[in-house]
Amino acid sequence: METCKIKTLENNERMSTQQLLQTIYAKIEEGYTDFEIDACGQHNIGGSLWAREKGNKLTFKVTNPGQRVGSMAMAGTKILVEGSAPADVGWLNSGAEIVVKGDCGDTAAHCAAGGKIYVGGRVGTRSGALMKHDPKFNPPQFWVLKNTGSFSFEFMGGGIGVICGYGCDYMPSVMGERSCVGMVGGVIYFRGKIADVAPSVTVLPLDSEDMAFLDKGFDNFLKAIDKESLKQELTDYSQWKKIVPKPLNEREETFSVADFRRTNWVEGGIFGDFIEEDFRVYPLTTTGEGRLNKPIWNKETCIDCKICLNNCPQKAISECEKIYSSDDTKCIGCGICAAVCPRASWTMHSNIREIS
Amino acid sequence: MAAVGVNELHKDDLPWVIEYDETKCIRCGKCTAACSFGAIKPVVEERRKSGSIAQKPSFEKIVVIEQCVSHSNYCRGCGMCSYVCPNGAIKPVRNKDDRYSIRYRADKGESLKKGGRSNLNTEGRTLDKIKIGRISQMTDPSLDATRHTFELRTPFGRVLSADKLGLENSNGKLDLTSSLPPNRWIYPVIMGDMSIGAVSWRMWEAMAIATAYLNEVLGIPIRMCTGEGGIPVRLLKSKYVKYMILQIASGHFGWNRIIQAMPDMVEDPAGILIKIGQGAKPGDGGLLMANKVAKYVQEIRGVPKADLLSPPTHQGLYSIEESVQKMFLSMNAAFKFKVPVAIKVAASVTSVAVYNNLLRDPYNIVGGFFLDGLAGGTGAAHEISLNHTGHPITSKLRDCYLAAVHQGRQGEIPLFAGGGLGQTGSLAADAFKLICLGANGVFTGRLLLQIAGCIGNDLEKCNACNTGLCPAGIATQDMCLTKRLDIDKVAQNLVNYFVATDLELKKLMAPVGNSALPIGRSDALVTVDKHVAQRLDIQYVC
Repeated sequence: METCKIKTLENNERMSTQQLLQTIYAKIEEGYTDFEIDACGQHNIGGSLWAREKGNKLTFKVTNPGQRVGSMAMAGTKILVEGSAPADVGWLNSGAEIVVKGDCGDTAAHCAAGGKIYVGGRVGTRSGALMKHDPKFNPPQFWVLKNTGSFSFEFMGGGIGVICGYGCDYMPSVMGERSCVGMVGGVIYFRGKIADVAPSVTVLPLDSEDMAFLDKGFDNFLKAIDKESLKQELTDYSQWKKIVPKPLNEREETFSVADFRRTNWVEGGIFGDFIEEDFRVYPLTTTGEGRLNKPIWNKETCIDCKICLNNCPQKAISECEKIYSSDDTKCIGCGICAAVCPRASWTMHSNIREIS
Repeated sequence: MAAVGVNELHKDDLPWVIEYDETKCIRCGKCTAACSFGAIKPVVEERRKSGSIAQKPSFEKIVVIEQCVSHSNYCRGCGMCSYVCPNGAIKPVRNKDDRYSIRYRADKGESLKKGGRSNLNTEGRTLDKIKIGRISQMTDPSLDATRHTFELRTPFGRVLSADKLGLENSNGKLDLTSSLPPNRWIYPVIMGDMSIGAVSWRMWEAMAIATAYLNEVLGIPIRMCTGEGGIPVRLLKSKYVKYMILQIASGHFGWNRIIQAMPDMVEDPAGILIKIGQGAKPGDGGLLMANKVAKYVQEIRGVPKADLLSPPTHQGLYSIEESVQKMFLSMNAAFKFKVPVAIKVAASVTSVAVYNNLLRDPYNIVGGFFLDGLAGGTGAAHEISLNHTGHPITSKLRDCYLAAVHQGRQGEIPLFAGGGLGQTGSLAADAFKLICLGANGVFTGRLLLQIAGCIGNDLEKCNACNTGLCPAGIATQDMCLTKRLDIDKVAQNLVNYFVATDLELKKLMAPVGNSALPIGRSDALVTVDKHVAQRLDIQYVC
C-alpha cells in the first residue's frame, strides 16, 4: 500500500489532535502502515498503535509535531521527526524507535521502558526521568547527541542513557544540574563534564563491555540522525564515563563529628586554657576520681568487726593488721560501708568538686 | 527513725517518692552511687524475725535503700537510680500528695528556684492547633523534599528597602553611593543562647563543635548564640568565631575578654545579640547560682564565686530611643559596623510598641528583633517568674509581623521567634508555622539540652539545673558529673537532629510549593480553632 499522507492544515483549517488521531486510526484499519504527517502541533502522534496485519510495521514521518510524539508507542513502530519536537517525546515508550533530528523539549524519554529514542540535538529538563527496565523486554535506550537540561534521569529505575556532549565543551555540565537524583537503576554514559550528580550514584570509567555496546549502538544512532561522520570523534572512549546507582549496601563513608573534633577543631578544645580535657566519659556509676562520694575510715572508732568487709558490694574493702582500707579502683562510693558500720568508722565524703 | 512531728518535712511532702522493692534489690549500691542529689542512701533496718508472740522476739539487721527527706537532698525524679539498677528494684514516682512548694516557702522564707521551663499550661499549645492546610496539587506544582533544591537561608541583619539602597546609575553602571548595613544569610534556626556557666563546658563545646560541623562539613549555615557568659578566647581567635553570635546582656559578663581579643581575631563574629529579656522569666535578670560559678567561669566573667544576678534591665537604658542609641550604636561600632546587631526581648504586651519604634531605625543599625515566648528554658529562675510571668510567642510574633506589614516594612528588621519550640518533639513543625506567620527564623535552647541527654521535662521531672547537680552532666560545673557527658556523642546527636530538621523543613516547604523560605505565607496555614484563626488572621477550617 502506498504511503498515507496527511496534511493537517488546509485552507486555514487546522485539524484538531482528536481529528488527526481518528484519521490515523481509520487509515490503519484500512491497512495503511506508512504515514507522512505534516503536523501543526497535534499531540500524541504515533502512540499506542499497531498495524492491522500482525507482524507489519508502522512508520511515521512527522514534521512540526506537538507534545508527546511517540508516547506509549509500541514495538514495530518507527517514528521520524524531521526537525525538533516539544515536550514528552517518547513518554512511556514501550518499544518504538523514535528519531528526532533536531532538539526535544522537556521530559524526553520520560518513563520510557522500551525501544530506542535517538535525538540529534539537545533535550530539555527532566529528560530520561523515571526510565524503567522490564526484564521480560530489552531495556530502553535514549541517545542524545548534545546535552540534557537539569534534573535529567531523576528516579531512573532502568534502561540506558547516552549523552554524547557533542559541541558542548563550553558547558559546565552536559547533564545540567542535580541530575540522577533518586536514580536506583540503569546506566548513563556521558562524554564531557558533568556537575553535581546526586550522592546516591557513582561515576565510573567504561569497561570493555560498555565500549562494545556503544560501538554497536553508535552505528545505528548516527545513521538515524544522519551524522555518521561523527563516529570517530565520538568514540574516543577516554572522554567517556558512566553513571550507575550505588549498590544498596554501599554506605557513604561518613566523616563523623568525632573525626571533625580530632582533625579540624581547636586543638586541645576551646576550654583548653582552663581544663585539661581528656574526653573520657564516666558511666553513671564509676570508680576512682569519677565517684560522687568516697568513704573515709577512722581508725580510732573501728572495732574490727568486719561487717563492712562482708557487706561491700564491690569487695573494695580490705583489712591488714586491723587497718582497713578501701580500694579506689573498686569502690563506687555507694555508702553501704558507712551504713552498716556500728561505730560510724566509715563516713562518706562528697567527691563533688568543680574543675580548677 | 526518730519521732516525726507534724511540722517537720516528711516524705509525703516531696514531689517524688522512691518506689523500692527490697525483694528484688541485691544491695549492689549502684543507685546510691549514681544519685547526684544524694536523695537516697543505704541504711540498716532492724526487723523482727519470728512472728509468734509465744517466742521471745529475735531481730535481724538488713541493708535497705531509703529516701532522704531534707530540703537539700530531695528526689527530683531524674530516675538515674532506675537506670543503673540491675533488677528494676527502684524508681522515682510522682507524688500526688506533693506539697513541697508550700513547705519550702514556709520552712525557708525564700522563693522557690528551679531550672527548666514553665511547668504550667503545657497543654493546648497554639502551634499544635495550626496545620499546613494549603497543599499544592493541581493549582501549582508541589515539590519533592528529598530531591529538589531549596533555599532555606534567611537574612540576619538590617535589610534596606529598594529606595534606600543608595544605588546610583553612573554611565550605565550601578554604583553604591553609601555603605550597606551588614547582613548575613543564615539558616533559619539559631541554636544556643545558653551561657558558659549555665551549662557545663562540655555541653557548650559540643554545641560549638556541632555548629562548626554543620557549617563546614554539611554546608548548613546554622549560627550559635553564646549566651551571656562570655566566650573562650581560643574560640574567639579561631576561624569558627564566624559562626557565633556574641551575646551582651544586662550583666555584660565576658566582654572584657572579647574586647581584649579583638586585635587577634581572624574572623568577625556572625552577629551580636543584645539580650534585654528572656521568655522563661521576663522582667527578671539572669541568675547563676554560686555552685555553678566554677573557677574558669569566674575568670571568663571576671567575678568571684557568688550567686550571679544580672540586673533585670540594662542599667542606663531608660527608653527605646536610648537603647537604639547606646546599645545598637555601640555594638555596631564594636566591630566597625561590619557585624549585624539584633536585640532579644521577652514577648510582652508591649512588644509591638518596641518593634514599631525600632522599625523607624534612622541609622540602619537594628539588625533583628528576637521575641522569646513564655515556654522558654532557663538554667535557674524563681519559680514564680517561671510559672506565672510571660506571654505566648505565637500571637506576639504575628502582631509584630503584621505591624510591619501595615507600614510596608516587613522584612526590614528580621523577626526571630523562640520559646518552647520543639516542645512536642518536632522543631521543624514549630519553626515552619512561625515562619509562615511572619518569622524570618527561630531560635532554640532547651531542646538542645534534651537532645544532649537532659531528662527534664515540663511535668516537673528533674528541672534541677539551678542546683549544679545535673545528673546528665549538662547543667553543672562538677568534674564527676560533667564527665558523664560525651562531647562527641552530644555533638553528633545535635548534628543528626538538625540534619533531620533540615529534611523536615523541606518536607513542609515542598507541599506548600515554596522552594524558598515561606516567610509570612500565612495562607498556607489553617486552624480548627476559631479564636486562633481570628487572632492570627489565618483561615478557620472544620
